[in-house]
Amino acid sequence: MLSEENLPENIEENSSNFKDIFRELHSDKEFNHLYNEALEKRAPLDKNFSRRKFLALLGISAAFAATGCSNYRDKGNIVPYNKKPSEITIGNPVFYASTCNVCSNSCGILIKTREGRPIKIDGNPDHPINSGKICTTGQLSILSLYNPQRIKEPIFNNTQISWQEADKNIIQTLIKTTENGKEIALITNGITSPTYKKLIEGFIKTFPYTKIYSYEITGYTNKINAFKKTYGRESLPSEDFENAKIIVSFECDFLNNYPNKLSVLNKFSKNREIIEKENFNRTYCFESTPTVTGINSDYRIVLRSDILEEFICCLINEFHTVKKLSEYAKNISVINLFSKYILSDFILKNNLSKNVIDNLINDLSNNTGKSLILGGIQLSESTQILIFFLNKILENDKLYSKDKEIKCQYPLIKKADFNNLVEKINNDKIGVLTHIDTNPVYHFNGIFDYIKAIEKVPLVITLTEFESETSAQSHYTLPINNYLESWGDYNYVTGIYSLQQPVISPIYNTRQKEEILLTWIEGTHQNNSYLRYLKNNWEKNLLPAFGFPFDFKSFWINSLNAGVVKTNEKINFTGEFKIEPSELSNKPTSVTTNDYVLIIKENPFLLDGKYANNGWLQEIPHPISKIVWDNYATISPSAAKNLSLNTGDIIEIKKSGKSIKIPVLIQPGNADKVISVELGYGRTKAGIIGSFIGTNPICLLNADKDDLIIKDIEIVKTGNTYELVSTQEHYSLEKYKDIPIKRNIIYEFELDEYRKNHDLINSKEVEGINLKTFPSVNQPHKYDELKWGMAIDLNKCIGCGACAAACNIENNIPMVGKEQVKLNREMMWIRIDRYYTGDINNPSISLQPVLCQHCDLAPCENVCPVAATTHSTEGINGMAYNRCVGTRYCSNNCPYKVRRFNFFDFRDNFKEGFLYSEPLKQLSNPEVTVRSRGVMEKCTFCLQRIMNARDNAVKENRKIEGTDVVTACQEACPTNAIIFGNINDTNSDLNKYRNHKLGYTLLEEIKVKPNITYIAKLRNNH
Amino acid sequence: MSYDATYTKELPLVPERSSFPELDEVVFKPTETKPTRAWYIAFIISSTALLIGALSLGYTLYYGIGMWGNNNTVGWGFDIINFVFWIGIGHAGTLISAILYLFRQKWRTGIARFAEAMTIFAVMTAGIFPLIHVGRPWLAGYLFPYPNQHNVWVNFNSPLLWDVFAVSTYFIISFLFWGLGLIPDIANLRSRTKSGIKKFFYTILSFGWRNSNRHWQHYERAYLLLAGLSTPLVLSVHTIVSFDFAVSVLPGWHTTIFPPYFVAGAIFSGFGMVATVLIVLRKVFDLKHIITIDHLEKMNKILLLTGTIVGYAYAMEFFTAWYSGYQFEQFVFINRAFGPYAWAYWIMIACNVGFPQLFWFKKIRRSIPVMMIIVILVNVGMWFERFVIIVTSLHRDFLPSSWAMYIPTWYDAGIFLGSFGMFFTLVLLFVKLLPSISLTELKAVTENAQPKNH
Repeated sequence: MLSEENLPENIEENSSNFKDIFRELHSDKEFNHLYNEALEKRAPLDKNFSRRKFLALLGISAAFAATGCSNYRDKGNIVPYNKKPSEITIGNPVFYASTCNVCSNSCGILIKTREGRPIKIDGNPDHPINSGKICTTGQLSILSLYNPQRIKEPIFNNTQISWQEADKNIIQTLIKTTENGKEIALITNGITSPTYKKLIEGFIKTFPYTKIYSYEITGYTNKINAFKKTYGRESLPSEDFENAKIIVSFECDFLNNYPNKLSVLNKFSKNREIIEKENFNRTYCFESTPTVTGINSDYRIVLRSDILEEFICCLINEFHTVKKLSEYAKNISVINLFSKYILSDFILKNNLSKNVIDNLINDLSNNTGKSLILGGIQLSESTQILIFFLNKILENDKLYSKDKEIKCQYPLIKKADFNNLVEKINNDKIGVLTHIDTNPVYHFNGIFDYIKAIEKVPLVITLTEFESETSAQSHYTLPINNYLESWGDYNYVTGIYSLQQPVISPIYNTRQKEEILLTWIEGTHQNNSYLRYLKNNWEKNLLPAFGFPFDFKSFWINSLNAGVVKTNEKINFTGEFKIEPSELSNKPTSVTTNDYVLIIKENPFLLDGKYANNGWLQEIPHPISKIVWDNYATISPSAAKNLSLNTGDIIEIKKSGKSIKIPVLIQPGNADKVISVELGYGRTKAGIIGSFIGTNPICLLNADKDDLIIKDIEIVKTGNTYELVSTQEHYSLEKYKDIPIKRNIIYEFELDEYRKNHDLINSKEVEGINLKTFPSVNQPHKYDELKWGMAIDLNKCIGCGACAAACNIENNIPMVGKEQVKLNREMMWIRIDRYYTGDINNPSISLQPVLCQHCDLAPCENVCPVAATTHSTEGINGMAYNRCVGTRYCSNNCPYKVRRFNFFDFRDNFKEGFLYSEPLKQLSNPEVTVRSRGVMEKCTFCLQRIMNARDNAVKENRKIEGTDVVTACQEACPTNAIIFGNINDTNSDLNKYRNHKLGYTLLEEIKVKPNITYIAKLRNNH
Repeated sequence: MSYDATYTKELPLVPERSSFPELDEVVFKPTETKPTRAWYIAFIISSTALLIGALSLGYTLYYGIGMWGNNNTVGWGFDIINFVFWIGIGHAGTLISAILYLFRQKWRTGIARFAEAMTIFAVMTAGIFPLIHVGRPWLAGYLFPYPNQHNVWVNFNSPLLWDVFAVSTYFIISFLFWGLGLIPDIANLRSRTKSGIKKFFYTILSFGWRNSNRHWQHYERAYLLLAGLSTPLVLSVHTIVSFDFAVSVLPGWHTTIFPPYFVAGAIFSGFGMVATVLIVLRKVFDLKHIITIDHLEKMNKILLLTGTIVGYAYAMEFFTAWYSGYQFEQFVFINRAFGPYAWAYWIMIACNVGFPQLFWFKKIRRSIPVMMIIVILVNVGMWFERFVIIVTSLHRDFLPSSWAMYIPTWYDAGIFLGSFGMFFTLVLLFVKLLPSISLTELKAVTENAQPKNH
């Protein structure tokens, strides 16, 4: 308290007290004097806060606190375009047509870009081959563009160098090598680009001692060579799947890996049509391990891979000797060749079902010229020749296109050729070894000791996007553009040219691989030199050859816009079988080996291992085993019992001194004593995502044989175990295998059964109750205008996972890693359930994609305490992420368990924030919220797409239609198994499915009224 | 009332005839003396457990629910198991203090205060779990209906929301009831204490109690009213907790038997816990003549009754599953008893239905060591009951493709341990700071407390 006495002393500290003001008003001179003195002194001192000062500080700190705490979600700057590019309207996507480079199929793609960033790859609807579809790997390959682990600068012996330096040194060496007469080896993938081929020919012209080694480890090399021998063309026939009434596959996974796969899928699915016509082909699949093709076949016959050839010989004998179907029937030499292969003996010996084989024989002989017999990549050239011969006998080459073929621009090499290369290296005949976007160290080191060999080469160059086993062994590692940053042209099928254009300028200091070669040819580097080369080739060579009368500039721009050029090119396929029957040599003597056989299979997603560093692809469950992030050796349940193995036990597979260690998976439907292992795993230098996942089986292959079937292997149980993680089957298969049928989760009927009685599902009763007509106690809601719904045709769904891939990209779904999948915390919004039913050794395998069912009476909605999941007036079960507190009650109460909870911030949790690293963040779809930790999420029926469609409808002053919206999964489904639309539109396609007699909803009896209709699968059995 | 030779005289509630000052001494002794060595050891153990729980919780709050074993199929694990377990523990207290009060069961006086304190602590412990089990606990305020600028209201259809109300009501009423009952005793303490600090707090907490006739009248009236209010809560709280499950569509949860089954189970587990702690307490604080073997025997009878009711419910669940002809329900129950979590089921059956049946024998009812083992087993069994209900129903539901296993982590265990730590820390603080026996009520039931015949 201020008092009269102590005032002078304390005035400093208690400056602007109201008493002061009071005094001031009274003009006390002494006070004024003291006051002024104090004012002078006070300013710097200010030991005690005045009330005003306090308030001011309070105010400013509150303001600071508010600024500091606010806006915590958006830390980035938003910079407007100074000059807006003409093609970009902010908020609207721009689509560019280009060509996919993932495999040699060269599908046309449409790349969605937002504000200059490519964010999604879809099929180009105008492309005649893939007609708007693109496979799982193709869709997810966009991750490679943004992968933070791309090589960003040229590297020489682990040090960063400039392109100029690299160019200078390499060109000098190339010239010197040519002068010395040593070979320059270019190792490349299969070449499908005509201009690239021309470029390579140019390279050979400049450096005449160049040899090209073009190989495809998961390609149909043997079939190409067989076709060359049988019909004289270095290509593959373009087979008419649409008109094939009977398809027989011998280890041929044509729904997964086949030339023009997407076109095959499309045509195959046209033969699984149930809406207008019941148009079914019949598929027989002979295989040792279930594949996508096998499980979708009408007959799946389990057969050891090593006796396939014998079986084919039996069939040949049956058709031409017994049934005398072909012109070769009179040819004594052929009869002699095959007469020892007696089908009935074979059936007996191998315990095959006589019924099924009889049906096969009848079907094939009744459908001559209308069936296809296909052999997989595993089969040797001689087996492929036998298959061509069998097709010829049955006149099936009528289904080979007369004017089109699947081209092989440059001959593919065999393993023997690669062996020659290694020998040449060992003899010091190779001066420069260039790996162009290939990884032979990973592929062949196990067979040829390639690493040891290339140490002797003076100059080893690798052109690659990512660090690889091969780049690690190279002197120069030159970073190349992603295909989304590249120019190119592709011609895979006669008369169809796909163009490739960049949709983003190179993110790093990389060059297109063609540009690098061009630089070496020309001796200097020029920007965009390959674009000029490409345009020049089209203007000077290709365009005149096609006879198009167009002006080049407008042709070029229009073609780039369309992404594809169709020409009148034709081949003349005569169908003349060039091989003499007597040359069908190397036939097997009757094999009775009882040893284990190893068959090496192609992985549906990782292909030859190039995409091992793609976490999304690693996490899409394997179509059959549902295992993620690993490969394994499949083994049949009975063989496992004999060897007392369990899933996860590590075995050692030995073959002639080499061995691999790999965990086993007990695979129902696997042939006895056959082990299958998939390719693409066991990478050692594939970045933090792809390294040390699984095992590479290639080393077990024999260097001189060209098939992927290894006989007489030895299996040793090591006693160690390893955890394989799958998204399904956390229970005993044997005990619960009939549950899916008992619970009416899946229905499967035979086509004939259905033809006789359409009401198979409607008449089905459970405990005397008809599930469909059983009344519900709940009043359904009314949806007057629009109600979204979906149908999934299980006849068409092959389980490829393209829907899941599309969903991941569209909806910014993170990968969570093996550890989290193990804990059952996978995040994918759509999963494909796979059920084994029946005999565990030869089960029927069914598929069912399950996503949010958007139930009318959704059980998740009424239990959410904060109303974060609610129903829209259009029948969509929505999620308000920012309202969700994460009680997980909704997920508990969801009978379909389609809800996914963010147990962590998975982007942060996965590989220490890998998904948050630049530039990977740029991949996110800006139309979909990135969900935070602790939030529930699930399928939204692509709400963002519905909103866009509605915006467009409003702009056009009309009402939104069901057909305006295509969901991401529907767009991606290569067989069109997913149909989306308006339920209230009675004429819609969707309603044809919804009201179909085979339509059913999942778990009908709990009466939650789901809006996803499944169409029961029919098998076209006898 | 005059004695008649034909009537058996009821055993006195406080057997040894003690004078009121003697009772004062005995009851107030723990609050007026320095803690013993045993108390310190107990306190260190329980607060260490609490600390472990706090650390586990800290990690969970920092990284997310992913630290636990919960997954997409089994969305609830230890979090909700513990919640239901602790809420159940609380029920015995309310039953003893409110319902038995209304029924004039005078034997309750020895144990009522303590049981009720346990209710409060159990509900406090339980209350943590709904808060921390959510993915974003910092937004848990969304669970309360408050007017907001988004115009978003809570979903009154959701049983979880009913939980929020049920549990908060339960806590408030129990707390008031307990607090009110404490007033005369605290006033007594206030008058006795010589420590300034104690005096200060006891003065505040005794609300100016002067033992006036008016005070007593108001007090008795308020106590009766609160007892009346608490009584339906004994039934309603666990009924609503059971609705969390019964309202869902999940086989194994979707059962109409749940409310009575849960209430019986809650009382069962509550008595189990009260008995566990009382047995220790009466020994440690030498209250054997106040909390007598008769009290314990009566509690054991209730354990026998409720345990049998719970056993009946287990049996009825199987009967209903069979009788309904509903394959999903049938599967769930067969899976419970013979599936991968069968061990949990049989622990539950043995502890809840099997061992309490021994209480049919008087000898066992009155044997402290046997009783101690059985009541601990009851606690174990009742925890496993919640485990069985929650985990086994969720882990194999409708679509076999989604079936999964639930494996708790160390963090789950840590938080579980922490919940015991919290509960016992609170109990230990309580017995040192407040009278753990309702002295006023006790005095009213001693012999000749209400003199007659003169």
